[in-house]
Amino acid sequence: MSASGFYVRLCAVVGIAIAMLRRSPGRTTLSVVAVALAVLSVTLLSGLGVGVVAMGEDGLEASAQDIWITGDPVDPSASGTQNPIVGTHEVAATVAAHDDVRATAPIAMHDIYIGAEPDDLERRPSVGIPQTHSRFEFEAGGGFDTVDDIDENGRAADPTAEEIVLDPAIATSLDVDVGDTVYVGASRERADYEFTVVGTSSYYSQYLGSETVTIPLNDQQALAGTTGTDRATFITATLADDADPDTVEAELSDAHPEYDVRTSDDQVSAFLEERPLVIASGVTLVALAVLGGVVLTTNLFALVAAQQRDELAALRALGLSRRLLAATLGVQGVIIGLLGGLVGLLLTPVAVAGLNSLSQSVIGFDSILRTPPEVYAAGFGLAIVVGSIVAVITGFRAGRYARIEHLRHG
Amino acid sequence: MIHRILRARGTSRSSTDEVASQAAVRLEDVTHEYGGRGRFGSSRERSVTALEEVTLTVDTGEIVGLQGPSGSGKSTILHAVSGLLVPTSGRVELLNTDLSERSDRERTRLRRTHVGIVFQRFHLLPSLSARANVALPLVQAGIPKPARRKRASELLESVGLADRTTHLPGELSGGERQRVAIARALASDPDVLVADEPTGELDTETGRSVLELLTTVGRNRAVLVASHDSETLAVTDRVVSLADGRIIDDGRSGRSNTPSS
Repeated sequence: MSASGFYVRLCAVVGIAIAMLRRSPGRTTLSVVAVALAVLSVTLLSGLGVGVVAMGEDGLEASAQDIWITGDPVDPSASGTQNPIVGTHEVAATVAAHDDVRATAPIAMHDIYIGAEPDDLERRPSVGIPQTHSRFEFEAGGGFDTVDDIDENGRAADPTAEEIVLDPAIATSLDVDVGDTVYVGASRERADYEFTVVGTSSYYSQYLGSETVTIPLNDQQALAGTTGTDRATFITATLADDADPDTVEAELSDAHPEYDVRTSDDQVSAFLEERPLVIASGVTLVALAVLGGVVLTTNLFALVAAQQRDELAALRALGLSRRLLAATLGVQGVIIGLLGGLVGLLLTPVAVAGLNSLSQSVIGFDSILRTPPEVYAAGFGLAIVVGSIVAVITGFRAGRYARIEHLRHG
Repeated sequence: MIHRILRARGTSRSSTDEVASQAAVRLEDVTHEYGGRGRFGSSRERSVTALEEVTLTVDTGEIVGLQGPSGSGKSTILHAVSGLLVPTSGRVELLNTDLSERSDRERTRLRRTHVGIVFQRFHLLPSLSARANVALPLVQAGIPKPARRKRASELLESVGLADRTTHLPGELSGGERQRVAIARALASDPDVLVADEPTGELDTETGRSVLELLTTVGRNRAVLVASHDSETLAVTDRVVSLADGRIIDDGRSGRSNTPSS
């Protein structure tokens, strides 16, 4: 087959395919919509996955902590019973002694009981840290700073600062404002302490997935009864600007073999590795969406091939090769794939904007769906794959139908 | 107009000149059975003998009619001559080429080059214009679009449809569609023309004009026409009668052009 002959046939096949698509606008539109939906499913679900991971990374980056030290894989929903680091302040001081470490900060998690009245308490997750920072972006009030308290006062058995930052939703639920007093205890029956609400912020809530309060680490340990063992979930470290996180991580791992030392990136990876069900669910959803699009589109085109079997058989009788007939229908599949892909990609930013707006208003997460170029590439790649599968199947059907049995017998 | 086709044919037949004075089509003891094997080679499906020891010759310039009831084997002969099927036994020659020895691809190429087919139901692609339909057989040959369009326009003009070139089949009458189909069958300037009930979907008046066209364009070719219609068979040079897959009269014994209805 000469190159010019191939080109002539290719052009003709494309022309015939376009004519056939234009002849049946309803069917063509349905097929394009099917592919577009499959693409949209992939871009949106991928965008959600990217967004979740990116939020985690952003959170870690925003915390300005380069190194995370813990005793077990991190479980943000864990209660205070899973604070694996013992002797937190001593470990933190050891880590801080490293040349490349600029500062360290322990973080502990523990469920506490809180209420506007001492006899009406509800269980809430709390994060214990030495001090709040600017990334809290307080809706009202401010934070606390107990670093010096710990250094000066040592390990107090009772809360000393008694200051608390509430998630805005908790503040609303308790009907308290900045400056008000809330009652805090370690059990539902007893609220031994009165904390002053110093601010409202959803900083930790967005990472833990539930409304959270933030209190001084020292006070939290006192509430949890872990002052003696000085427990925490993490010790985070901020490195010097020119430090290599991987190198520091390796050195700290050698120095503290009893703990897991991770960089921020490793921390996100570990987080995802601990959640195979979430990942499997996401992959399953994407696979089902893709499968649905492929099945719908191929069904439509198989139907097309069946409807055209008399014409296909006639063309075969006229001397057109099976390959040419298959190409005629196959090109339709590719065109459908391209059109569906473009429509899907064009709709993606609109849908993302809408869903992000919805998630912002319902759950308070901003930009939970993110669509970097790779997501668009994945969506368009899917469209091409769908188009190709359709092309192969319809081409096969065309070859099958192009038989004289479908011409009239006498 | 029609003469233009014949003139064009006269200047472009170098490949078949050597067989012009010979039998264009020859069937020798051809038997064909449909079925006989179910799926996966099982023998559940009952076989049907469509042709039984059929021997038939059609010369260039001869128009042969095939008559007989449904299932008598008329279309099967046309399919065998076109290389659309290989008979179970016997020999089918097209321009001295034994089709049974050829691969499917080779038979397709021979059909494309040497055989024009006209169907009862036209089988035009509804999404393509009349001109594009006529040009379709030329696509496979890799003929560039301008040449295809020119050839298709000339053929449509020759069948009286010069003003219908851009019309879709749905915009044409039955007679016009069959004329387009005839023009399409002539696209590759074939040596053999086969027509399966070419007037079956047309009224009497339209059918007559189509037959006139068919006989004119078939003058320098071997033509096989399968039909139930006596008026169609009346324009043929010879009528071959079939029953149950056998030839009961080959039309050479004084019965030509006197078909039974």
